[in-house]
Amino acid sequence: MELRWYHFAAWAAFVVFMFLMPEMVSKGTLRIFIFANFLAVFAISWDVLSGRTGYVSFGHPFLIGIGAYTTAILTKRFDVPVELSIPIAVIVTMIAGLLVVLPALRIKGSYFALITLAYMELIYQLVQVIRPDLTGGTRGMSGLPTLTRGAVNGYYMSLTLMVIVAFCVWLLMRTRIGTALSAIGMNEEAVKGSGLSVTRLKLFAFLLSALIAGLGGAFYVHYLGSIAPRALFDINFVFTIIVAALIGGASTTIGPIIGAFFLTFLLEYLRPYLPGAERYFIYGGVALLLYMYQPKGIYEIINQGWSKVRARS
Amino acid sequence: MTQILIQGLLLSGLYALIAMGFTLIFSVGRILNLAYGAYLLIGGYTYFYFAQTLGMPKIAGVLLAAILGCTMGILKFKLLVKPLKGDHVAVEISSLILAVVLQAGVVLMFGDSSKILLPIIPGVERIAGAAVPYSNLFAAVASWVILIALYFFVRKTHTGRAMQAVSMDPKGAAISGIDADRINMITWGISGTLGAVAGVFFASYTQLYPGMWVAPLIIAVAVVIVGGIGSIIGTLIVAHIIGFMEVMTSAFIAPELRGVMTMALIIGVLILRPKGLFGREEL
Amino acid sequence: MSASLKITNLVKKFGGLTATNDLSFTVEPGQSVGLIGPNGAGKTTVFSLVMGEHRQTSGSIMLDGEELSKMTTPARIRRGVSRTYQVPRPFAEMSVAENIRVGLMPDSVFGMILKGPNRDRELELAMAVGFSENDLDRTPAELSMGDLRKLEMARTMATDPKVMLLDEVFAGLTVAEIAMISGLVQKMRSDGMTFLIVSHDLKALEPLVDTAIAINYGSMVAQGSYGDVMSSEAVRASYLGEA
Repeated sequence: MELRWYHFAAWAAFVVFMFLMPEMVSKGTLRIFIFANFLAVFAISWDVLSGRTGYVSFGHPFLIGIGAYTTAILTKRFDVPVELSIPIAVIVTMIAGLLVVLPALRIKGSYFALITLAYMELIYQLVQVIRPDLTGGTRGMSGLPTLTRGAVNGYYMSLTLMVIVAFCVWLLMRTRIGTALSAIGMNEEAVKGSGLSVTRLKLFAFLLSALIAGLGGAFYVHYLGSIAPRALFDINFVFTIIVAALIGGASTTIGPIIGAFFLTFLLEYLRPYLPGAERYFIYGGVALLLYMYQPKGIYEIINQGWSKVRARS
Repeated sequence: MTQILIQGLLLSGLYALIAMGFTLIFSVGRILNLAYGAYLLIGGYTYFYFAQTLGMPKIAGVLLAAILGCTMGILKFKLLVKPLKGDHVAVEISSLILAVVLQAGVVLMFGDSSKILLPIIPGVERIAGAAVPYSNLFAAVASWVILIALYFFVRKTHTGRAMQAVSMDPKGAAISGIDADRINMITWGISGTLGAVAGVFFASYTQLYPGMWVAPLIIAVAVVIVGGIGSIIGTLIVAHIIGFMEVMTSAFIAPELRGVMTMALIIGVLILRPKGLFGREEL
Repeated sequence: MSASLKITNLVKKFGGLTATNDLSFTVEPGQSVGLIGPNGAGKTTVFSLVMGEHRQTSGSIMLDGEELSKMTTPARIRRGVSRTYQVPRPFAEMSVAENIRVGLMPDSVFGMILKGPNRDRELELAMAVGFSENDLDRTPAELSMGDLRKLEMARTMATDPKVMLLDEVFAGLTVAEIAMISGLVQKMRSDGMTFLIVSHDLKALEPLVDTAIAINYGSMVAQGSYGDVMSSEAVRASYLGEA
């Protein structure tokens, strides 16, 4: 658990490599990287709650959506500057998430997963019928202020966000709180029996998850410049987030990043052969096989491969 | 008023059928089969392909849909649920992945656009000012017949009672010499069949499109949550509560809000009575 | 690090079944009391009630004169009462050191974040129950039943209890392991720890306790010195009646 110099060296190497990326790849590829960066942020957010504590959220777009819609409405309808609307969006996500999840924290296992799914469907339907003059109803909103212009700047913005989020979460999870959250995932009763208030820990995990989701959602919407309810509160979106975290390696910080990049590029390389939604056929198939083969994800596969290599030399 | 009564009864019958396959798996195997909606999807498209594209008799279309649904249920149990034995989270997550894969498979074969299913029985009957398509009437009657048959199957046959036993106490059932794997497999088969047949009816109620599996899944989830785990009667009652609530919301408040009420009901019940309105009952 | 545990008129009903029936006794500071009785007598229920895992139907539970009944389990543990379980519950994917670490954590999010783990204390606790320094990185999957019980003891001790409730600590252990745990309990007794111990292994229990309480069907059958309780007619009857 200790921090060692080579941890920081690895982070530094990763950041330098990623920041040099625009020199190495085309603008088109860079746009793919941007999506991978955002997906990594969402996957980390999911993992903080579900990967660690075992409380699976099937409705994570609910949180992302609150963040995205808050800043979209504030900037579009009330001309609030982005610098102000994003922090507000993050706070609103945390508060709204808290109000909603507080009673749900009593609920265990599969039922928790179901209630999050219900929350997502609820907000999807509400957004379309309640105050469409604010939310843009079924069609959503476009022409929102964007933070950057061009692929390179967009890439730097998304990369910075992803690296900051990943690094902070990584640092945090290396402290005892990370151990405590994972302990909940392994045996919640025994955590209680060790004198720790499980509800408080779950609440912390949820708030952290909401913070990252709100942040990611807000930046994402100001990268895209538009927002549409069907694209956001979509089961395919939930699927992509969860699969990224799991395929990469749940309960690690690097895992969701690996997963996000792996899946985004897999999806992109399938595009020439399968242009539409049928891409998910191969994509999901690969994800399913990988998950069945190693539920702990690519991170664990690499780990095991590495220890084999070391054992041989 | 009569109109609401009739529409409510028709819709609720269909919902009961949709929810039943999901409840069965949940009560016997304690597994939330998030791929359940995909059975409806496959059922609807199978019927569409055989009965409408190939022009086979409609009854053959329904039967083929049922057979395919049954096969899928059994395959899912053998290839996915059994290898992941015991890990409910893993089963749920891989079920969700499977559902998305199946949806993409449908897009691959039939395209993205929605299809209109021709009514199983053409024609409309007017009852007390309400237009009731024969198709919907047939769907509701067929749902009831299937549900009553299922009830007697579970209560009266040897296999049905073994299912009850596994549902109540898997270990006890195993000690009494019940092959839980076989019972589980049968349950998955029945669940797949029910889902696929419900899919044919559901698609003729609404439309056939690749994303159509989410709505019935949510309904099934709602019924299970509100009704509590796995009682056939409870499922029936709750399907009627939800069906009537949706019809009344559409009629008196706004059609767009019908789904909102269902969600609100799920959330409210989960928070106030996490074990459901009817609590834990046997099958 | 010693406290009294006073139980008064404790009643617990599960539906129609009375698991604990008007039970009253006191464990004085530094005392060690054996709780005996046949299977299903309600011993583990008493532990669950003291820890707040179940709420009693009526009656009171006081630790050093402070009423525990309204508190959550973690709050009771903070007050200084802690228990082990018949079936050890380790965190399966954590090392021995990390398992102990969870017990050592303060119940505050910021406390967990701002201060690193106390490795010396982790090692000290691990050694106290008989692990060696090399064992710290092992995972529960590699441990024997005896080791798992030792780990459970260490994690329970990590919460810094004043009263420890030990539930079947000797079940599934080898003779050597029983001796080891027994020695540990003796050592903690001499340091003034208060114990309430449930065990079926009456031989192993005898040297560890000052007095004994026998219960059956949730009611007190006998109370007194270990020898007196064991020779009491009522206790013999309850054990024989069970067979």
